[in-house]
Amino acid sequence: MTSSDVAVRIRDVSHHFGEEGETHYVRALLDTSLDICRGELLCLIGPSGCGKSTLLNVVGGLLRPTAGSVHVGNTPVRGPLPREIAFVFQENALFPWSTVLENVVLGMVFQGVPRGEREQRARRALEAVGLADFAQHYPGQLSGGMRQRAALARALSLETQILLMDEPFGALDEQTRMILGEDLSVLLARTEKTIVFVTHSLGEAVFLADRVAVFSARPGAIKEIISVDEPHPRRPDFVTTEKFGALRNRLYTLLHDEIRKAVVESGQGARTVASHS
Amino acid sequence: MLQVSAEARDIVPPARSRVLTRTLRRHPGIARLAAIAALFVLWEIAARYWVDPMFLSPPSRVIGSLAAVFRTNGVPAALQITFWELAVAFVISVASGLAIGLAVGLSRFSRVSFMPIILLLYGTPQITILPLFILYFGIGPASKIAFGVSHGIFPIIVTIVAGVQNIKPILLTSARSMGASKWQIFRWVIFPHMIPSFFAGMRLGMTGVLLGVLLAELYVSTAGIGYFTTLFTQNFDPTKLLGLISVLAAMAIVLNEIVRRAEVHFGRWRAE
Amino acid sequence: MRRKGSTRDRLLSRLVQVAFVGVLLTLWYLATAKWGVSHLLLPNPVRVYDELKDVLGSGEFIPDLRVTLTELAIAFALSSISGVTLGYLLSRSQYAIRVFEPLLAGVYSIPIILFLPLYVLFFGLGPASKIALGTTISFFPIVLNTIAGFGYVDRIYIVAARAMGASDYQLFRWVLLPAALPVILTGLRMGFIVALLSILGSETIASLAGLGHRIVHLAEAMETARMFAYIAFVVVIAASLNVIVTMLEARGRR
Repeated sequence: MTSSDVAVRIRDVSHHFGEEGETHYVRALLDTSLDICRGELLCLIGPSGCGKSTLLNVVGGLLRPTAGSVHVGNTPVRGPLPREIAFVFQENALFPWSTVLENVVLGMVFQGVPRGEREQRARRALEAVGLADFAQHYPGQLSGGMRQRAALARALSLETQILLMDEPFGALDEQTRMILGEDLSVLLARTEKTIVFVTHSLGEAVFLADRVAVFSARPGAIKEIISVDEPHPRRPDFVTTEKFGALRNRLYTLLHDEIRKAVVESGQGARTVASHS
Repeated sequence: MLQVSAEARDIVPPARSRVLTRTLRRHPGIARLAAIAALFVLWEIAARYWVDPMFLSPPSRVIGSLAAVFRTNGVPAALQITFWELAVAFVISVASGLAIGLAVGLSRFSRVSFMPIILLLYGTPQITILPLFILYFGIGPASKIAFGVSHGIFPIIVTIVAGVQNIKPILLTSARSMGASKWQIFRWVIFPHMIPSFFAGMRLGMTGVLLGVLLAELYVSTAGIGYFTTLFTQNFDPTKLLGLISVLAAMAIVLNEIVRRAEVHFGRWRAE
Repeated sequence: MRRKGSTRDRLLSRLVQVAFVGVLLTLWYLATAKWGVSHLLLPNPVRVYDELKDVLGSGEFIPDLRVTLTELAIAFALSSISGVTLGYLLSRSQYAIRVFEPLLAGVYSIPIILFLPLYVLFFGLGPASKIALGTTISFFPIVLNTIAGFGYVDRIYIVAARAMGASDYQLFRWVLLPAALPVILTGLRMGFIVALLSILGSETIASLAGLGHRIVHLAEAMETARMFAYIAFVVVIAASLNVIVTMLEARGRR
């Protein structure tokens, strides 16, 4: 990777919550460094509490790390960069008091898109995720899968270079996840966004990612990075191939011990920090 | 829950904390006391330098003259009478409220029939019929007690009916399956279940009784505390008036606190 | 709940309610017409009805109604503006909420009507003391509900908006305000009702004008029938206002 191909440069990032000695002191991340390539889809996977969501928030500027730095291009990340980075959260962050269309438009209002362009871009984004007919619905009227599509549309309409997704399909059932994953792959093949995707699911990681960064148990650090050399858009039957199976098995082997470690640790002692990392 | 939320303030680098701010942050109670003290200071300054002493009295003078208030002829007796009115009104409210509440709540039919009427009465602005109460019960303690009962009884009835009503049917079913008689079901299942609601109702009832008795006292009183509030007002004596009001407010706080503690104690099994 | 016979039960309940009211009215009529209860204590229902017609027809109620409603409007305007403003300002800091909310809740728990003599001393017997008391009492449910509304907005919405680049104003206008609105509206409704009751109460206790005062005046003049008429009138006004604000609250919550 040449330096112009690097979208995000993460250097020696560590983060802890609380002060040493306090009951809720938690070391979430330890000396993590990583280069994220332009246009790739990078998955972060690891056991609960390993710091993958923390790293995502640090990259997105929602969290100042206690040590280390993150650069997006040449800009150091010190706060949210709404023109470069868009988020899709696991929890539904669509405003329940606004319609789907209004939600997408609001994202552009916040970012500062000129008034004339907003509705057009919003409708294009909704069409891209297949929600064109639901623009006037309220989030409460939609299923979980549709809500996450709407959240994705909102993120896409912001036309940022980088997209950060924190277990976006985590609250959905297996079948919806599968469909959304396939659609996401198709969608992203068309754009050239750099995507960082946090997930718990081994299959999802292998299916979607160009590279998978595997985290160790808390305090989290990157244990290994696996490459998935398969062109986008991923064919749905990719999951049935031997290559897929082999990659998935490798992930399993890397993760299994870490997951055990994380479970043991969470059973002992007071951990008041939320269970996903 | 998104971890970020707690640490969203990390977006802006945290200010260097000094010991004082750290202590204040950890003990909001101290900050609260400081705020109250600041308010008293403001009151003191305002009463001394800005406002005509005929209308407002500084706290230092009010506290200093509390003894004089108590020495005023008739005030201690008036306080006693008022307290007695509150107590009697409360006891009557609780007793009748409990009786009516159980009578209405235990039978589904009587609940559906009578609750609308009770709720209607509960919702009317009773203050409009205060003169009627005086007309019927006279200007003595009886009208104060009656008006107090009238305010205190309704929340008790409503909460008892609710407490009896929202018992989980599975509990009744399992008791019946073990052969319990109607009385046993009441004694061992319904009654204990209803107790936290009962105490919650008593807390609301106490608030109602306080309101009713004090309203009636302020309206017309020959021997109760209302007599002296009128007297001090007409004599433009804000010092004694504030003193008396503080004593009454303290009494209200104490009574409320007693019922609230009772509610917490007896409602222990209710998981939050 | 039993299914069979439930319509029959409901009808029966309805019947009991009607019978209850009917019996009361009958007793009332008999007491005054046949059993010789003094009309000064309990006026004949027919006379009350006549007096009511007279009051409404002659428009006698208008000046008092105007006084009461004006006091209510001013008191509520003052308490809602100050309550929502202070509530919003306090809600901006979790620490401020923890310090001041229990304080405000504590003050609200005492019968603030106790301060009426003080307000009368300060403002006199005119509308100012009623407005002052009404404002004071209705301030609390409004400020407490506003704090609750703004202070407990789900943080995910704030984080998402900030991540998308929302300014302080945008955050307030598009996220905080719509999220907090239902709770604030409830507080406003409670404040309105409480203001009405306090104003009626203070008019009853110490006033020269207004509906509460009118009722007291009639009681002192022993015009019991006319007093009953006014009581009925005030109850209906209060109930109508209650219904209106409840509907407005529901409408605002969409």
